[in-house]
Amino acid sequence: MSDRFLCQQCILPSTFPGISFNEKGVCNHCQRYKGEDATVALQEKYEQKFLKLLEERKTKSSYDVIVAYSGGKDSTYTLDVFVNRYQLRVLALTFDNTFISPKALVNIGKVCGSLGVDSLIIKPAPQVLRKIFRTAATQELYSAKTLERASTICTSCIGMVKGIVLRTALEKHIPFVGFGWSPGQAPVQSSVMRTNPALMQGTQKAILKPLLEIAGDAVLPYFVTEEQFTQKELFPWNIHPLAFLHYDEQDITERISQFGWERPNDTDPNSSNCTLNAFANQVHRKRYDFHPYVWEIANMVRTGVLSREEGIEKIEPPEDIKMVAYSQKELGVD
Amino acid sequence: MADNTTKIRTFIFDNFLFDAEEDALENDTSFLEQGIIDSTGVLELVDWLEEEFAISVADEELVPENLDSVNLLSAYITRKTS
Repeated sequence: MSDRFLCQQCILPSTFPGISFNEKGVCNHCQRYKGEDATVALQEKYEQKFLKLLEERKTKSSYDVIVAYSGGKDSTYTLDVFVNRYQLRVLALTFDNTFISPKALVNIGKVCGSLGVDSLIIKPAPQVLRKIFRTAATQELYSAKTLERASTICTSCIGMVKGIVLRTALEKHIPFVGFGWSPGQAPVQSSVMRTNPALMQGTQKAILKPLLEIAGDAVLPYFVTEEQFTQKELFPWNIHPLAFLHYDEQDITERISQFGWERPNDTDPNSSNCTLNAFANQVHRKRYDFHPYVWEIANMVRTGVLSREEGIEKIEPPEDIKMVAYSQKELGVD
Repeated sequence: MADNTTKIRTFIFDNFLFDAEEDALENDTSFLEQGIIDSTGVLELVDWLEEEFAISVADEELVPENLDSVNLLSAYITRKTS
């Protein structure tokens, strides 16, 4: 390990790509932060933008919104928001990466039942996914920028989630795609955004290319087809409601417990659904000397969603040895 | 134009390519095809454009024809500020 140090305001470490500090030890990202008032004003603006779009684009023939539903805390709350705050017809799509905690799968069933939401679970053949995760554990597959926000294993998985959700939205003519990104993961400016086909096609290529090299055509069903990219009028709007709504972890946990949601005890502190996360984090920390969740957590500290101490508690402790060993055994890697 | 190109290259290296060599990026290299910028990265780019050049980027302008290389960005900025 290095002589790394943390920003005095948020928790970004000196090992983070592109970081710099002023004489007070405050990072360039904190220096650029415009403050809470600007954030609140933007949140109101983007919720209004979404409400206006809802009036224009709701149809009677399909679901109003498809939600990428992992069974974790944030996507569970996102389902609740779409059903109860906005009164929408929701399809919950779960991409089972074969490492979903058994308790998270129970949560998915309970929550969808309680909210009256249709649930679609897609579970790829384990051989395909494990080949991808095994490769991602041993080599870098993506650009330097992706390293800021997630581990290589997570980036592979999320790439497939985004692909299959968009593909399903296009197939079913669903006008909105919902994600439960926390305010630290997605800036409020991205919370209501039309998916541009050409832009999406470009970003999909960057994710798909290494996955095709690893697993071949077996991964294609999880991505948008070339033909679908020509159906420009069907492309949905991406909605990240947690970026424009008040976000408090404790309030959210209490709220979703009403629908039968319980936190799994076999996942690491930064996930409430995936048993692979601890291993993915450990690989990233060893490879780059910073935690793959530190960008998200630092954003939440900077904007006051978490205290600095809470943030440090999420990223500094080492991963649970048993959780890491479980994934290593399942993937057949050291 | 040349000044804009320099500013864009500096921003891309500082925020997306980090320690890469200067010749790692040609001015007509596609950011998307090379995986330099993804969907979240586009937003970071837009945020910078709006602040640095005092322009407003509309939803319908978020297309590769405007944003997908140093040269395309430079031309877009020129159109928006002229």
